[in-house]
Amino acid sequence: MIRPAGRTAVDGYIDDLPATRPEGVVLSVRNLTVGFPTDDGMVQAVRDVSYDVSAGEILGIVGESGSGKSVSSLAVMGLLPKSARITGSATYGGADLLRISQAARRSLRGRKIAMIFQDPLSSMNPVHTVGAQIAEAVRSHEAVSQKVALERAAEMLDLCGIPQATRRLKSYPHEFSGGMRQRAMIAMAIVNRPELIIADEPTTALDVTIQAQVLEKLFEVKDTVGAALVLITHDLGVVAGSADRVLVMYAGRAVEKGGVDEVFYRPRMPYTAGLLGSIPTLGSSGERLTPIGGAPPSLLNLPKGCPFIPRCPLAGPDCSVAEPDLTVTDAAGHEAACYHWDQVAALEDPRMLHHPAVIAQIVTPETAPPRGTRAAEATPIEGIA
Amino acid sequence: MYGLVTISGDPLQDLYEDQSPNKQAKIDQRIQILELDKPVPQRYLSWAGGAAKCLVPGLSCDLGQSRTGQDVTALLGDAISSTLALVSASVVLAIVLGVSVGIVSALRQYSAFDYTLTFAAFLFFSLPVFWVAVLLKQYAAIQLNDWLADPVVSTLVVAVLAGLSGLIWASIIGGDRRQRLLVFAAAAIATIATLSYLSAVRWFAQPALGPAAVIAVSLAVGLVVTLLGSGIRRRGVLYASVASAGLVGIVGTAASGWIETNASWTVLAALAIAAAAVAAAIGYALGGMDRIPAIRSAVLSALLAGGVVFLDLLLRAFPSYKDAVNGRVVATIGERTPNFTGTFWEVQIDLATHLVLPTAALILISFATYTRFTRASMLEVLNADYVRTARSKGLTERTVVVNHAFRNALIPVATLAAIDFGSVLGGAVITETVFGRKGLGSLLIDSVRNVDPNPVMGCYIVLAVSIVVFNMLADITYAYLDPRIRLS
Amino acid sequence: MTAEATPTAAEEPTLVGPLPGVEVEREFTVKARTQGELVRRRFFRHRAAMIGLVVLLGVILLSVTSIGIGPVPGWWNQDYLATGSSVDGGRPTLDLTPEVVDGQREFIGPHPFGQENTGRDYFAMTMRGTQQSLFIAFSVGLISVLLGTLVGAIAGYFGGLLGNVLMRITDLVITLPLIVVASVVSFRFGGAGVGALALVLGLLVWTQLARLMRGEVLSLREKEFVEAARAMGAGPWRIIGRHILPNVVGTILVSGTLWTSSAILLETALSFLGVGVRAPDISLGSLISDYQAAFQTRPWLFWWPGLFIILIALSINFIGDGLRDAFDPRQNRVRA
Repeated sequence: MIRPAGRTAVDGYIDDLPATRPEGVVLSVRNLTVGFPTDDGMVQAVRDVSYDVSAGEILGIVGESGSGKSVSSLAVMGLLPKSARITGSATYGGADLLRISQAARRSLRGRKIAMIFQDPLSSMNPVHTVGAQIAEAVRSHEAVSQKVALERAAEMLDLCGIPQATRRLKSYPHEFSGGMRQRAMIAMAIVNRPELIIADEPTTALDVTIQAQVLEKLFEVKDTVGAALVLITHDLGVVAGSADRVLVMYAGRAVEKGGVDEVFYRPRMPYTAGLLGSIPTLGSSGERLTPIGGAPPSLLNLPKGCPFIPRCPLAGPDCSVAEPDLTVTDAAGHEAACYHWDQVAALEDPRMLHHPAVIAQIVTPETAPPRGTRAAEATPIEGIA
Repeated sequence: MYGLVTISGDPLQDLYEDQSPNKQAKIDQRIQILELDKPVPQRYLSWAGGAAKCLVPGLSCDLGQSRTGQDVTALLGDAISSTLALVSASVVLAIVLGVSVGIVSALRQYSAFDYTLTFAAFLFFSLPVFWVAVLLKQYAAIQLNDWLADPVVSTLVVAVLAGLSGLIWASIIGGDRRQRLLVFAAAAIATIATLSYLSAVRWFAQPALGPAAVIAVSLAVGLVVTLLGSGIRRRGVLYASVASAGLVGIVGTAASGWIETNASWTVLAALAIAAAAVAAAIGYALGGMDRIPAIRSAVLSALLAGGVVFLDLLLRAFPSYKDAVNGRVVATIGERTPNFTGTFWEVQIDLATHLVLPTAALILISFATYTRFTRASMLEVLNADYVRTARSKGLTERTVVVNHAFRNALIPVATLAAIDFGSVLGGAVITETVFGRKGLGSLLIDSVRNVDPNPVMGCYIVLAVSIVVFNMLADITYAYLDPRIRLS
Repeated sequence: MTAEATPTAAEEPTLVGPLPGVEVEREFTVKARTQGELVRRRFFRHRAAMIGLVVLLGVILLSVTSIGIGPVPGWWNQDYLATGSSVDGGRPTLDLTPEVVDGQREFIGPHPFGQENTGRDYFAMTMRGTQQSLFIAFSVGLISVLLGTLVGAIAGYFGGLLGNVLMRITDLVITLPLIVVASVVSFRFGGAGVGALALVLGLLVWTQLARLMRGEVLSLREKEFVEAARAMGAGPWRIIGRHILPNVVGTILVSGTLWTSSAILLETALSFLGVGVRAPDISLGSLISDYQAAFQTRPWLFWWPGLFIILIALSINFIGDGLRDAFDPRQNRVRA
């Protein structure tokens, strides 16, 4: 679909938004499963993940490295290597992105759905100027001249907060600073006014001081263009401050889903609780941090049952029978994949779930956890509530 | 080095067995020429003094004399032109072929094409150059010449070639099963048709393209250059390229008579420049939205079309050349047929036929190196983040490969070229010896064997200088390709 | 894996996994292997390298045992020096479909590779040539690896004057194509025998490996684990031996193998040109050189030595490729 050439005016390009921006759900992912065959077996990177993204909202996807958060988005974009085994569906605009033709997918990428990657230095071609690369994104979807494309590129760079945008068009990526580079990437992603932006750890490679600035800019730009944003990160703080809804992933699976305030103040899954509990807060100076013990499981040989068992204080015999699905908890729209979410809900401060004292309190004869798990090793400590 | 050569043997060795009456006079003469009565360090100094004169412009170079009294500088002059022709042809061909095959191999990783090619590369890499050279000289030359006498392509060969061609094209173009089958069939049929026709009319005995073919091929050249470069959807580029190429083809054919009689390298160079200028103008005029790519593409197409015209004219002279050399077209000794006179075209053919076999021997190993290296480099680039970004922008696969992957994959190849040049020179030493070409290599070896230090030193200097120059060229290319290392 | 979360084998397994009685640990991890094991495993799975290894060993065995080496005699009845009368124009008697003569089929015959014009058995000559060429190639490989590793490591780690001197020397040798330098050098010393030739070539080639080694050591020297070792008080030799060398072993092995294959091609080329192994001794290269004109009449004199050179070089190259793949940690062939 190439729209006819005709836009030459620089002013008003961005103001001239199409009359209709989508309403409702923009992207609908159902039962997405991604596996990679390797010499040692099939690695299940993403397992049965489902989520929706509504128009204009920010969905945060959080998880540790290896939780499958990046892979799931790459699968939606169709950027995984040919050897990947993908099942499920990702519906956008009425079509299943996983089933449409290559040509159709290409037409959507960079135009309707754009992606921003983690490391802007390696994600930009070092031998082409920044302007050329942004212009390329324009010209692959619209029949305009190079001159017009470059003008649009300059406008985008300016929008993203890069000074002297027109001059910077001729610079090479290595001549930019880290923050500037990422802004240029953002410019490249929004130049065709996409409806959905997927940002894969956009600030992880940046200095902390720059991170906030770049994120600010990203949210600003997203609103200007009117796109929805999927923000993938392992940094909970980033999500807490800006996202509308959040999806927590662990071992390739979605383990908690809901509004960001709901999930962050009232987590219902022990993993989320542990994540939140392990963040140092301003009030907790001097205390020891409460990490989640253990390490994430290997995605090669996942056993039956919940993958969080070895690290979970609430693990019971029913947990190892079958992996829990996302089930609605006490609040609407808030789902958690845990059989014992009510126990988590019962705690006064769920974020302290992994504190040894709290664990000791939970252990009762009825809920005696299996030996060999964290819960079993906890020793009771007197006098701490 | 000088000392090493001098002490490696007795320069008067062969004269001791001389039976002629003026043996003593010859010995004395040689002693005088080589200054054998003086101690080695002094000889070296006097040589160095002469050599230093080369660095000062205006003074003539004095690199000493060979043991037969010949001026080394003069010897070098002839040798250099011979070796230069051989080495340039080899390097250019090896790079063009090696890089293209390497890229295709990387794009079709793990395919049959890829595996066969990898194995072939290994094989070529392990071949001794001298063995291949001797094989070509003793076997291929004779067989080829015999075949050219009555060039009929047997049915078996046609079938085999058709099958191979089908397999190769199917592998290169890829696609699903149905598409591959179609490509295979198309390629096989095309090969069968072409070969049968060529065989029936004994085309190889009197090859000629004819004006129609020349124009058709020129137009096709324009099309292909656009296809591979900017993509045919960029109409401006397409029109410019096809127009320039076609124009060159038509004008070339029309003026072929004139060109044929007035040929010389200067005339041809002037024509090439003119063609490029006209093509640039056409590119500018027809380029539309893509002026610069159009100009580039048009100039390239025009030059290539010019090459096609050149080829046609060359082929026209082929039959008369064949008669002149009594049917022994493919030569095995020297750089040109001794005492050969003929038209410009015949002379060029003569030079070319003498280059064919030695170049074939030389490019084998280089080709293997370039293929493997380009393939590895391309694979690495194809997995790079920026290629993923390019795909995420919705670019076509062709754009991703050509504009992003290709340019980055080429960068390390420039470094490889610098290193490989050394090995090409080394291979040239062997090839020249086998094929009797009087180049730097054979001069060197002969002089070493004759314990003649001056030519050896002369050769060393030339070789060293050429390597330095080539390295500089490679560095410049590297800087052009990779903006990260340019001085900012 | 953290110790606290996993039971030892002695404890009763408490979770039901895919297999009964399997501990928790195994279900959650990939079996840990040492670097050496990983490399070995990958190498032995490389089919081409294995074929190369087998072929190379076969050639070595054949050449050494057939005509014997030194004082030890071989099982072949001919000698490579004895001349005699030519049987059947010297044609090879190797035949895969022989006729029955006297109730027996002669597959090999007295002269399987044929004879050259003075009646010498070509199989014996080829074997002798193979021995010489192999000896030179492996000596060159060994010398260059040993010397190159030692000097390169020292130059790389300690730097300074030694490093610079080394670089100048290698530059001198590297600038010109090896064969150019080698021809002069070997012409001078080649007459002194195969051992001398091997030594001389080795001395030319080791500089390349030393340079490579120095580069690797230089970059490793700056890595954090070396800094950490230094901070813990390890002396330079200990650092080189325990930390740096194991990391460059891969590169050295691969380079050494590839240089060995280059060495055989270099030596045969030099012998072909007449500046390497010289009469009366035989090398595969000298054989080809001596009989190149006979191609029309006695092609076997040309094919057999060439075939052996190609076999040897090809096998060594495959082995080198296998080693390279084995040592490359990024290699992970995804089963498409």
